[in-house]
Amino acid sequence: MAAIRVNSEMAGSIWKLLVAVGDEVDEGADLLLLESMKMEIPVAAPAAGKVAEIRVEEGETVSEGQLLLVLAR
Amino acid sequence: MVAGRDALRMVEAARAALGDEARGAALARQRGRGKLTARERVAALLDSGSFMEVGGFATAEPDGEAGRRDGPADGVVTGTGRIDGRAVVVVAQDFSVAGGSIGRLGTTKTVHAVETATGRGLPLVMLLDGGGHRIQDGQDARSFAHASPLIRTLARASGWVPLVALMLGPGFAGPTNFAGLSDFVVMVRGLSAMGMAGPALVKAATGEEVSQEELGGAEAQAHRHGLADLAVESEAEALAAARRFLSYLPANARAPLPVLACDDPADRREEALLTLVPESRRKGFDVRLAVAGIADTGSVFELKPRHAGNMVTALARLDGRPVGILANQSLRLGGIIDAAAAEKGARFIAFCDAYGIPLVSLIDVPGFLIGPGAERSGLGRRSARLPFEWAHASVPRISVVLRKGYGLGYIAMAGGRSMGADAAFAWPGAEICAMSIEGSVDVAYRRDYEAAEDPAARRQALIEGIRARTGALRAAEGFGVDDVIDPRDTRARLIEVLRQVEGRQHGSLPPKKRAIPPI
Repeated sequence: MAAIRVNSEMAGSIWKLLVAVGDEVDEGADLLLLESMKMEIPVAAPAAGKVAEIRVEEGETVSEGQLLLVLAR
Repeated sequence: MVAGRDALRMVEAARAALGDEARGAALARQRGRGKLTARERVAALLDSGSFMEVGGFATAEPDGEAGRRDGPADGVVTGTGRIDGRAVVVVAQDFSVAGGSIGRLGTTKTVHAVETATGRGLPLVMLLDGGGHRIQDGQDARSFAHASPLIRTLARASGWVPLVALMLGPGFAGPTNFAGLSDFVVMVRGLSAMGMAGPALVKAATGEEVSQEELGGAEAQAHRHGLADLAVESEAEALAAARRFLSYLPANARAPLPVLACDDPADRREEALLTLVPESRRKGFDVRLAVAGIADTGSVFELKPRHAGNMVTALARLDGRPVGILANQSLRLGGIIDAAAAEKGARFIAFCDAYGIPLVSLIDVPGFLIGPGAERSGLGRRSARLPFEWAHASVPRISVVLRKGYGLGYIAMAGGRSMGADAAFAWPGAEICAMSIEGSVDVAYRRDYEAAEDPAARRQALIEGIRARTGALRAAEGFGVDDVIDPRDTRARLIEVLRQVEGRQHGSLPPKKRAIPPI
């Protein structure tokens, strides 16, 4: 089973988690909303898979490149 | 002496030997890879029967590697033809001859083709399918020290005639440089690859093992790095994309734009534009819907659609006239301009300006990316390329603030009077100010609201106070914009301005020799 690591493209804070561990997601589905520069920025699944791990919590500050979650397929 | 008819027969026999029918065995591998032959590509690109070959009888130099005598056309098919009736120059590398590698006469022929395009003022279409320099020929200072003037010739053609590069196979090193100099580059998924060097050379030089696809396939070079403008599924689509791209362009920088008859009414009102921008300023919307609603129906041709999606760049038509549209896409990174978006946008402005294509800027920008990551990416300098290009542009320019026009981002998108736009408009929901409103309150008024009895309420009051001073009407009161327009009238307003300012306006620059781009 391949793991797909989803990293943050930019610094910001986690505004809303939209999935839970175990959820099946399609490619392009929004996984969470990042808040940065007063905008809600959706983070989309780079490929279809199952949410294996969520490494962040709502409200947490993240840096560019930080691991947000892991998908398995 | 061979009599005239016999001589002609010999020539025709030699010509027939160049054709695909006579080279079945040599072309079997090419076809086995599912690829078209060089001549099939040329035929599919050009209007039927319009190809006139130049240098078809040239062969590989006899002093090269053994077996090179059988190097038809020295591995590159060149000539002229027509696309939709308009003349172009074409160069097609032939992978079936020494892997499409660039031999000496092949190079001479290619230089000749570029010079033909430059001299006649015609677009150049390169169908690239080869591995760069012939290693055997190149590892000899007697030939290599000469160094071909090809890349210089191409570089000097840039901005004069449209340069198109279709990557139709592996094209590492030289061909990648050609692509880097081109105005429009297309890759075919699973077929094309490019980069500074292929996997074998990378492994030999650094020990890194990487697949050709991962190193330089369409996903990497078109989507991640933005070296290519488009990734398509087949060679036929790539050839069609080249034809479509050229349909928006003049033959050269001094030729008229190809204006088409338009049956989409100039005063068509797109109702959906009225409700396109969401109530919440924090939420994104798909700005491509604005682009599609404003432009002539079916005329939008997006470039680099999956690279730096936060900056949409598209060729389109307004009342049949070609235009270039830049738009901030809030669905990607909130529309924030990062280094990739700045480079994509700036290059597009330079390209449109070179060929006399008017520019429309649809602004919804929360600003440039900030923070250590932004600085590492060189955004300090890269961000300056956008205003640099706007400031040197001579084509008609129109800006429309759809929503946010914040800070340097507003100027980098040519908002208001910043870049001497021919017209500056705002939609009613526009919000124009130096920085994010919440951010400015937190930076400048923190002590004020923290000292208040109810800090949160005071902060909110400060925010509302500033917000009331950042609207579209307020911008028009200060004559920062010409007018606040009904979003549904955007199309009609843009078309009327473009009818009036047709052509270039060379504002006077200081008496400098040349401009120095920030990147």
